Amino acid sequence: MKRISLDKAVPGQVLAEKLTRPDGVLLANQGAEVTEGLLRMLARQNIDTILIEEADGRSAEEVMADYENFLAGLEARFIRVKGQAVLMALKKTMIFLAEKDRDETLALLAPPDDPPPAESPAGSPARG
Amino acid sequence: MSAPVIQDRVQAKKEVRRIKNLPTVPGIVAKISRMVENPETSAAEVGRLISQDQVLSAKVLRMANSAFFGMSRKISSISQALVILGFDVVKGLVLTSSVFDMIQKSMAGLWEHSIGCAAASGAVATILGREDAEEILVAGLLHDLGKVVLALNLPEEMEIVQKKVASGPILFYEAENELLDYNHCDLGQWLAEHWNLPESLAEPMRFHHRPEKAVLKPECSAIVHLADIIIRAKGFGNAGDILVPPISMAAWEILSLRKTDFLPILEILEPKLANLCDLTSIK
Repeated sequence: MKRISLDKAVPGQVLAEKLTRPDGVLLANQGAEVTEGLLRMLARQNIDTILIEEADGRSAEEVMADYENFLAGLEARFIRVKGQAVLMALKKTMIFLAEKDRDETLALLAPPDDPPPAESPAGSPARG
Repeated sequence: MSAPVIQDRVQAKKEVRRIKNLPTVPGIVAKISRMVENPETSAAEVGRLISQDQVLSAKVLRMANSAFFGMSRKISSISQALVILGFDVVKGLVLTSSVFDMIQKSMAGLWEHSIGCAAASGAVATILGREDAEEILVAGLLHDLGKVVLALNLPEEMEIVQKKVASGPILFYEAENELLDYNHCDLGQWLAEHWNLPESLAEPMRFHHRPEKAVLKPECSAIVHLADIIIRAKGFGNAGDILVPPISMAAWEILSLRKTDFLPILEILEPKLANLCDLTSIK
């Protein structure tokens, strides 16, 4: 995800955060698609920046490499606490979220009609 | 070792007393300056931004709790302090804080760790439904202030601790305990005393590695302890070593959390961290 100023936002992007007014009134839900109407409304509400989901310029291979690096870093950081079940649960949850993020990023790279990315660890055939 | 290391706690405490100002983040300082110049900016907005800066938060709270203001009770949160001090005082604090740019540059990793820990503290407090979430967030922000003292005022000691950490999988805190007669928790505690910070903030500074020792608000120290672990697990920022420290099971039990609570905590934290990355690069 990436934070961008509202004037850089374009229709078709996906909101990565829930937007509310200071008084708590909901403006847009996380996961909502950015439309011209939404952008006008947010401008009226003095929203300066929004967080969007992004295909961040990485190729599928790079996404997979980043994921493998993440796993390696995680192993190194958790090396002293392998015997603590609570922290192993934290690690497992982080891996779950990283896999989700990896698959969502790969899906953004794929054409709309493609099937979701395969679970194989080597990565599905990539569009570079 | 050959370095003239201060191993005496009394001497270290004297070093802490010499501290008048600590570094802060120029980006956030500049943003606060712009915010307070806008008459439409609300106290809540300024409060939220200041709460993300450890040194500025400490300064505002130190002033709010100084004898000059004659408050009958300690003020623990920025929003509470802003109401009492007003924008003008805050602006003065912002300007005086802005002369430490160069030092701040060398503290970038610790700043990320601190603000990340604050965000994680806030996320845990939110999941627990705590009404004092803002105070806990500030406690998370300040928890490693002792490391700032070590880096700036005791550079030789900092260096030998860093060398030890580089030699193997050892926590910064463990290296301090092995090499010095005090650690960053002691330094933080002494600084908190010197600045007259409320015990609710001083306690997590002192006990975030031993939350089971906290007396006044054990759950706050426990939250900061857990938040420190979570943000280290994320690899966000630099706390002096790369390791996830062991969790205090006493702290885990105090919080009555379940392992399945990590998912909503991390889901709250992720977008917050994306926002923090943005804040650190404001020019």
